[in-house]
Amino acid sequence: MTEATTATSVRRLNDQISVIDIKGEITAASESTLMDAFNEASGDATKAVILNFGGLDYMNSSGIGLLVTLLVRAQRQHQELLAYGLNEHYRQIFELTRLDEAIGIHDTEDSATAAAGR
Amino acid sequence: MASVAQRALNRFRRRKAGGAEAATGSGIQVAPVEIAPNDPLVAYFQTTSGAVDVDNLDFDSPAAEQLKRSGVKLVVPLVSQGELIGLLNLGPRRSEREYSGDDRKLLDTLAAHAAPALRVAQLVKQQEAEVRTRERLEQELRVAQLIQQQFLPKELPDLPGWQVAAFYQPARQVGGDFYDFIDLPDGKVGIVVGDVTDKGVPAALVMATTHSILRGEAPRLNSPGQLLERANNRLFPDIPSHMFVTCLYGVLDPQTGRFVYANAGHNLPYVRSGNETLEYRATGMPLGLMAGMKYEEKEAIIEPGQAILFHSDGLAEAHNPQREMFGFGRLKEEMAGRPGGNALIDHLLDRLRHHTGHGWEQEDDITLVTLERAGGEGLFTSAPASIPGPRNLPVDGENELASFSVGSSPGNEREAMRRVEEAVADLTMPPAQLERLKTAVSEATMNAIEHGNKNQAEVPVDIRVTSNGDAVTVYITDQGGDQPTFETPTPDIEAKLAGTQTPRGWGLFLIKNMVDEMDVITDEHHHTLKLVLRREGEDHDA
Repeated sequence: MTEATTATSVRRLNDQISVIDIKGEITAASESTLMDAFNEASGDATKAVILNFGGLDYMNSSGIGLLVTLLVRAQRQHQELLAYGLNEHYRQIFELTRLDEAIGIHDTEDSATAAAGR
Repeated sequence: MASVAQRALNRFRRRKAGGAEAATGSGIQVAPVEIAPNDPLVAYFQTTSGAVDVDNLDFDSPAAEQLKRSGVKLVVPLVSQGELIGLLNLGPRRSEREYSGDDRKLLDTLAAHAAPALRVAQLVKQQEAEVRTRERLEQELRVAQLIQQQFLPKELPDLPGWQVAAFYQPARQVGGDFYDFIDLPDGKVGIVVGDVTDKGVPAALVMATTHSILRGEAPRLNSPGQLLERANNRLFPDIPSHMFVTCLYGVLDPQTGRFVYANAGHNLPYVRSGNETLEYRATGMPLGLMAGMKYEEKEAIIEPGQAILFHSDGLAEAHNPQREMFGFGRLKEEMAGRPGGNALIDHLLDRLRHHTGHGWEQEDDITLVTLERAGGEGLFTSAPASIPGPRNLPVDGENELASFSVGSSPGNEREAMRRVEEAVADLTMPPAQLERLKTAVSEATMNAIEHGNKNQAEVPVDIRVTSNGDAVTVYITDQGGDQPTFETPTPDIEAKLAGTQTPRGWGLFLIKNMVDEMDVITDEHHHTLKLVLRREGEDHDA
């Protein structure tokens, strides 16, 4: 019950945009999984990384801290971070924490892709 | 004739040497004549007006000799605002006749126009060179900033029972401030605060080197004095001769408050103890000045309620428009009787702004690092003693829906969350409210496991769920006892992205925003978080 149950897969839509599909949890235990996925998603020309939260079961405050760390890394690499697939509850948490001001929140992958790099 | 002059002008070339330069026209191929600034010809041309016959020059001048040898017959000095900026040199007329009065008049008119135009061209060129220099310096500043920020901690250490806060603001010309937290064996933490003399890229590189040496050696060397000694001996052979590094290094045991430190000429750390401010003094030379130095090692206990402040020159040595320094004494006074953590940093920066006034250009980097130990006579907010302790629970008129315990292993908050969800299943709460309850329970249980029970698996977190007509209440109790609730800084996404707040620290903030009411109840042995969600909370608005 304490082991990490986070699974990620990375899709490179093109040179500039990658998607990380997240399944399971975002907690302190997801750190290495998420950071590895982010590395895999970041090519030399990658301008935007889109997080797909469609498969997210659970996220806690440590997970939010992890997203902030990810965001700092993305900004340092001049990459934009976007997200879609958040349910109403986590969307509210993104608003509360103002993460939504730094991570563009979208309903679908298409609208996230269209917004990337704008 | 005009074409000759034109050609001469075209061929006029600016040379790198100072003073005036010249070229010749009229089809004679001559190397441009250079005139030394102290050649008497310069003074002569500056005072004379109009075209000059070279053959008539009869004073001792290397430049005049050279002009003659080159076949130059007539020279028209180009003078702008009393300064000789160039010469128009003409060879013999092609018609082999002497230059006429009309020729000379025409040349004078030409020179009168050409001189200011040439001056303008020279100024433009000079300005372009200055812009390039400025751009290069700006670029260097950016590089220095990049190097320096690369080596600042990305997050603050999470020390149970301690409130840690840090502030760093580079001056425009980036000084060499740095600070660091180093994880050490046995849960101890190494604290580094330093300042490299000099600015810009060289300082940033020395800072990076010092950072790597300290990081590399700290886990192996228990003794702060020995660590500084090692760092000094490794820096000394390579550091540029005019540079050195002041640096304080201390090892803190968060469990006991024991702080062992040594100081290589850095500002003394201040310790706020009630209304007094103490200094932690240890002597030692700055790093990189002399080989083979020894560093005095001291030891102190940071008691519950005390706060320690590490600081660089940027604050205490900030000047106001009257050139008065903020001062170290003032800094100590401002600390006394103040809360620690971000509140202390905010207060000091506020006093600094007050001192310097508006429009102050920051003179040096400002670094402030502070650690406050919870408890004692400290300035944390504790729950008032009159609130009934967990032993007095439950309160009349409430139905107990569930009462259970989970062990204090990370991850057990999920179990707590699942069981609370089960317990309230019959209440048919709106789904959004249920989600908020689950998040609040999970976060509160996580805090209880980590901070209250220190991840000791055998120590239980007790959870009770009650309801009445109006509300659902969850009590989450750990065995931490009189653990005061930290006045944790409100998480701020901008501060976190800027690296001035740890990326973590969202727990309490989330809990408060998920529930309608949150209370802390403590007694000697227990610490309880009471979470209330009102039943009509369908339109709960965070």
